[in-house]
Amino acid sequence: MAPSDLNEINTKIRLMKRSADELSQLGKDFPAINRNVVRILASIKMLEINISDLVELIHENQT
Amino acid sequence: MNADPKFWNPVLETLPREKIRKLQLKKFKKIFQWAYEHSKFHRKLYNAAGIKPQDIRSFEDVRRVPTVEKSMMRDIQGKEPYPYGDALCVPLEEVTIFRQTSGTTGQPVYQPDTWQDWEWWTECWSYILWAQGYRPSDRVFIPFGYNIFVAFWAGHYAAEKIGCEVIPGGVLDTKARILKIQELQATAMMGTPTYILGMAETARMKMDIDPSKLSINKITCAGECGASIPSTKKRLEDAWGAKVYDHAGATEIGAWSFECMEQPGGLHVNEGFFLVEIADMETGEIIEEPGRRGKMIISALDRQAQPCVRFDAKDVIEWAAEPCLCGRTSRLIKGGVVGRADDITKVKGVLLAPSAIEEVVRGVEGLGDEYEVIVDNVGDVDRIKLRVEVLPDAQDQCQLVEEELADQLRLKTNLRYDIEICGCETLPRYEVKAKRFKDLRRKPKED
Repeated sequence: MAPSDLNEINTKIRLMKRSADELSQLGKDFPAINRNVVRILASIKMLEINISDLVELIHENQT
Repeated sequence: MNADPKFWNPVLETLPREKIRKLQLKKFKKIFQWAYEHSKFHRKLYNAAGIKPQDIRSFEDVRRVPTVEKSMMRDIQGKEPYPYGDALCVPLEEVTIFRQTSGTTGQPVYQPDTWQDWEWWTECWSYILWAQGYRPSDRVFIPFGYNIFVAFWAGHYAAEKIGCEVIPGGVLDTKARILKIQELQATAMMGTPTYILGMAETARMKMDIDPSKLSINKITCAGECGASIPSTKKRLEDAWGAKVYDHAGATEIGAWSFECMEQPGGLHVNEGFFLVEIADMETGEIIEEPGRRGKMIISALDRQAQPCVRFDAKDVIEWAAEPCLCGRTSRLIKGGVVGRADDITKVKGVLLAPSAIEEVVRGVEGLGDEYEVIVDNVGDVDRIKLRVEVLPDAQDQCQLVEEELADQLRLKTNLRYDIEICGCETLPRYEVKAKRFKDLRRKPKED
């Protein structure tokens, strides 16, 4: 997979994370929102472990 | 994208070695800092050793971090925050799952996990199952009690995540499980080697069903080291007509290793998620080179509720010399987990690993799958009693089988045994982890 593809994926992951965090704030007193967001954030964390944590390392190759 | 990607994560699983090491160090610093800042237990331990997060800059520094033993976790539990004690790094209300260790080596240890930790467990298992060929087209039968032990819970969730159809074989008895596999034409299953062999025996001897004619084509074994013992693996594969893959993990660690479809005679360490070190059992020196056995010191790099940082797992392992042909760049543990440091004991002055006895027993034709080893003293001399079963078809060759067994044992373990041939199905059968090795010797008095 090309580093540029990884960058794009990482950007989308960050966007999802930001949206989920915002949703969590908006749904603070709304259990059906915030408990589902807890699960979404856990899944996003797995995307970060799988991709975001590696992006910096992959880039070291390119510079 | 390829119709059937080979890797669950094609980037992480093929990362060059030097980058894997960089990733591990970076993640170790983070988890160490997390534990230091959020767990009183860890902070006290590290302060006593004079190590703070900013001191961790290299793997040399990592080696200065004190190890944690299971007994230390036992000591803190039952205290506040109840029942986990002060290694808990999150508020109690963020804990969503309780598990406990099986208690094979003593009082069980409690393990709290948050939902993120559970997602992480499932992710680790997804790497395992994908590497072993599980795909959305699989129908996976899980003959497991779904209880307080983590066992195959995460395997269940990972199979679902991958997209497999999962059949929870929870409260069914062994016969009902076999019938359900037959009825639903399940293609894969998970269990301890002991139980999977026991299922095959029940199918053959009590149901007149040949398990190799059922639809199972792959089996993931965990909980015992059997699937990495060649003769046990062969028995499992012959019995079920399926590929059998090993996996090693632990409640307080996570699912840290797996055998891939190449069956390279060892286990891949999932190095993006775990840092495995091997320590010399006498000196504690960290072993980097292949071929030298030591005990595993392991860190789970992303687990948060109750961190696992340099946990002294007491599993005996060694690095393999060569990388796997599958293309994964992670290091291999040669021959899987060969035993526990607690189990490897001196008998008649010779080091004996119970797994070596299993390798011999399961390799002798005519013997049943079960066996029992009892070590005791006759006067001041150690005695090893080995109880085995001869299969019904080999009853007329008992003496030959016994001689073959004695010869192989002498050859492979350098010890003599008192062999007792028992009647068929008279030795204990186990549903989960077997306890076949009993050391009844008087412990020497300490000065």
